[in-house]
Amino acid sequence: MKEFVYIMPEILIALTLAFVIASEITYEGEQLRLVTAISLLGLGAAFFYAVYSYQFGPTPVFSGVLCLDGFSLFFKLIFIALAALSIASVGQTAEINPGRRTEYVALVLAASLAMCLVSSAADVILAYLSLLFLNIVSYFLAAFGRKSLLSTEAGVKYLAFGSVAGALFLYSLAILFAYTHSLNIYEIHKHLLAQPLPPQVMLVVFMFMLLALSFQIGAFPMYLVTPDVMEGSPTPVAAFLSVGARAAGFAIAVRFLIVIFTQPGMTEGHWEVLGGIDWTQIFAVVAGLTMMVGSLLALKQESVKRLVGYLVVAETGFMMMGLLVLDQVGIAALLYNLVIQLFALTGIFYVLSFVFDQVQSDRIQDLRGLLKRSVFECGCLIAFLLCLVGSPPFPGFIGKFTLIGTVIGSGRYPLALVGILAMVLSTVAVARLSYHLVGDFKKSLAPLTSQWARKAYLTVLVIPMTLAGIFAGLVLKGAGESLGFIFW
Amino acid sequence: MNHHLISLTLVFPLIGALLQTVVQVPRSRWIALASSLAASICAVILIVSMQNQNADLQMTELLPWVGSYAISYDMAVDGLNALLMILIAILFPVLIASEWDQKVGVRGMQGLLLVLQASLFGAACAQDLFLQFFFWGVSALPLYFLVGIWGGEGREKAAFKTMVAGSLGDALIFSALILIYYSLDPHTFSLRELAGGKLAGKEFNFLGFELSVSHVAFMLMSAGLSLRAPIWPLHGWFTEVSQEAPSSVFVALCAGVVPVSLYLFSRYCYVLFPDALGSAYKWIVGVGILNLFVGGICAMAQRGLRRLLAFICLSEVGLVLMGIGSLNPVGVVGSVYQQLMMGLGLAGFGLFSGIIADRTGSSWFMDENRERVLGGIVTRAPVVAVISGLIVASLMGFPGFGGFVGHALIIIGSYSIHPLTVIISGGALVLASYYLFTMYRLIFLGGVNERSAGFEDLTLRERAYMLPVVLSLLFFGLYPKPLIELIRPTVLTVLSAVK
Repeated sequence: MKEFVYIMPEILIALTLAFVIASEITYEGEQLRLVTAISLLGLGAAFFYAVYSYQFGPTPVFSGVLCLDGFSLFFKLIFIALAALSIASVGQTAEINPGRRTEYVALVLAASLAMCLVSSAADVILAYLSLLFLNIVSYFLAAFGRKSLLSTEAGVKYLAFGSVAGALFLYSLAILFAYTHSLNIYEIHKHLLAQPLPPQVMLVVFMFMLLALSFQIGAFPMYLVTPDVMEGSPTPVAAFLSVGARAAGFAIAVRFLIVIFTQPGMTEGHWEVLGGIDWTQIFAVVAGLTMMVGSLLALKQESVKRLVGYLVVAETGFMMMGLLVLDQVGIAALLYNLVIQLFALTGIFYVLSFVFDQVQSDRIQDLRGLLKRSVFECGCLIAFLLCLVGSPPFPGFIGKFTLIGTVIGSGRYPLALVGILAMVLSTVAVARLSYHLVGDFKKSLAPLTSQWARKAYLTVLVIPMTLAGIFAGLVLKGAGESLGFIFW
Repeated sequence: MNHHLISLTLVFPLIGALLQTVVQVPRSRWIALASSLAASICAVILIVSMQNQNADLQMTELLPWVGSYAISYDMAVDGLNALLMILIAILFPVLIASEWDQKVGVRGMQGLLLVLQASLFGAACAQDLFLQFFFWGVSALPLYFLVGIWGGEGREKAAFKTMVAGSLGDALIFSALILIYYSLDPHTFSLRELAGGKLAGKEFNFLGFELSVSHVAFMLMSAGLSLRAPIWPLHGWFTEVSQEAPSSVFVALCAGVVPVSLYLFSRYCYVLFPDALGSAYKWIVGVGILNLFVGGICAMAQRGLRRLLAFICLSEVGLVLMGIGSLNPVGVVGSVYQQLMMGLGLAGFGLFSGIIADRTGSSWFMDENRERVLGGIVTRAPVVAVISGLIVASLMGFPGFGGFVGHALIIIGSYSIHPLTVIISGGALVLASYYLFTMYRLIFLGGVNERSAGFEDLTLRERAYMLPVVLSLLFFGLYPKPLIELIRPTVLTVLSAVK
């Protein structure tokens, strides 16, 4: 029974989810609905419990099926915060019909439960199941705007890609199981240390896993679906998926790739490639391609949501750089970037959803003169975008520095060059967008209506983002310390 | 002794900029002016309380920022950057006063100018490469919005080009920065620790080639800075901005950002790359001469005040580069001095050309056939004519004005490279006298025509903001000794590392 204490955050989210579903079933047209408030309370409790759980130290839960460590807790905090931000904004968008808000809240809660499980899964079956759970909820979320063709298309495409990725993931796990007769990744690791797989088999396993994960994180070969989902799904959903689904993918990628395909290196906090193949080279090529493809395609987009989708793809490439150097500093940089993107992407999509409600379009042309029409929101949008692509005054810049820095530190200069080039290209893409936003400032345009709640929400995003930049040292230290008691 | 004066120069403008978002118009302008002035007063107190005959960094403020990457908030002044503090301190209150009557979004404009002031103070004082680049990167953003929102017809395109050139330049500097950081062990960004040729002899492997860190980083940084300051083949965005930006914003660019970028270049050259400088100084002088000449010849062909200013700026940059590359104490002191003087001179030129453009409706002083379109303003508005005359005289390098001291020191210093440089730069100065005097004659002298007939003289506000610029040009021209004594020890120390 004691072990339930360790998964208290998940239990709290599950209880909240059950409450939301029950309240929807028993709903009989009451005026006052507390679904949002109650779920925020539940998430808040889960958040504080996750912070509290740091004191338990690295612990295997349920005979090693789950593991509670700094790494999984860090991700849990991100996921819970994301779900709370997503639910808090649900009342302010017209894209989520008021009658279907509860449905949306339930889906978001279910997805965040799945993400929390993904981040702590150490058992291949559980990892697969929770990933599938997350993806199925994501298909529903992507297709949430049922009446919109684009949304349905996004849902179907996501489903098609997701099933292929799921199959590939399962196949790679099956091969590992066939060789090692073990389901726990740490035991698989021990087997592989004692009896390495033939390099060809290792390569196949790695490629399958890479393809599967590249769907989840939106990396090179499977990135095709990401912009479609970002463009098609309702904007709040795009915000949730662009951070959540990718972060879950990175949680799995870091834990599985590091545990299965590497061994601890000579110095503390470093790993070395296990088995005959140097997969980090493949990973570096994929990262470079992802960055270039994402930032190049972002240059040409006409739909703002799609543009942001491609920027997200480019960001994935950047974050892959933090993983492929195989040391803790790199992974801490990855986590730092994830925190920054949590605020930046949520903010970008929040402003876009506000604009979409009023303009009914996300074409760049239709957003012309937005700065004149609503100075605060548009200023925030530009700030979030610049933060995302790593422009200097914003904390995203420190994030980019840490990532490119780790790559240079490991001597991969060509990749760093590609990274800097991609950074310039994505800045140009943002400059092109803000060229239209800033334009027509001198014309008199009808201002967009705004509410104080909207400004408050944006302020809530801007403040932690700014603090993460000013106290970058502390956040990076926190990320590093979370990794300090990971359980390899 | 630590007064936090440097931090105050950053904090005051930022508070002022933040207040612009909440305070309404008539009061917001006073807040903007007051916060900018407060920062400027701090900067002036800072410079006045610096010790003469001291080559070290003074007034240091040091705090750790990102501990795990050894990034610190390290601010200090010495002879190389003290004059920039004076320049920024004079420039920005003047600019804010000059945009007092802005009709569209005056709060936004003054807020952005304040952010620019803070970021330039930061870039000038920072002694940590990362922090310096951080402030330098920040300075690009307000400019982008200032041009993109308040500019002329083609403002968005000009702003877009600025942003693209700027982000490319910043990316080059950024890559050099990371390269430098990882080449030393323990990794460091501190300019104090990197000083004195620590990078010499370090190499890194790029695709199988062994490359020298200091040479590659030097090239990356020079290329990066040349995209933010106008250097001859890469100046396309600059002339476009000169055409589109409001005059005060263009003044902020060519009299604020450009001198700071020249300062950064000299700081990088002398402190980080003394070894690379040994082989590159001829190139620096070559680029300088090229700019001096191309700027001069292009300026001769201009019919409008805005582009004329852009090309004068180009040739001033060339002159300062010549001084930086001369590696001779006199020339280097001259280049540091000239950074202040070019800033003040260009600011004055930009401001009076803005006043002329406002009153006559356009900044053209010749039509397509190079015939005069203005004239006789001296009889209508003697104060404008006198002030403009003084500024133009300083830009020409007329004795008794600030420009003369800088020009003379640089030309004397450049003699040590090759006597020919003296002849060439002298020729360029003759050229400058020609085009500046032609411009002056066409606008102010001669008969009155219909465009200049209704020209009114300066109002009290305009006199108030032109006065500091002109007075400081005169003062620093007649009595340069205290400033030169401030610069000289630092220059001698950094040059001893080069030789």
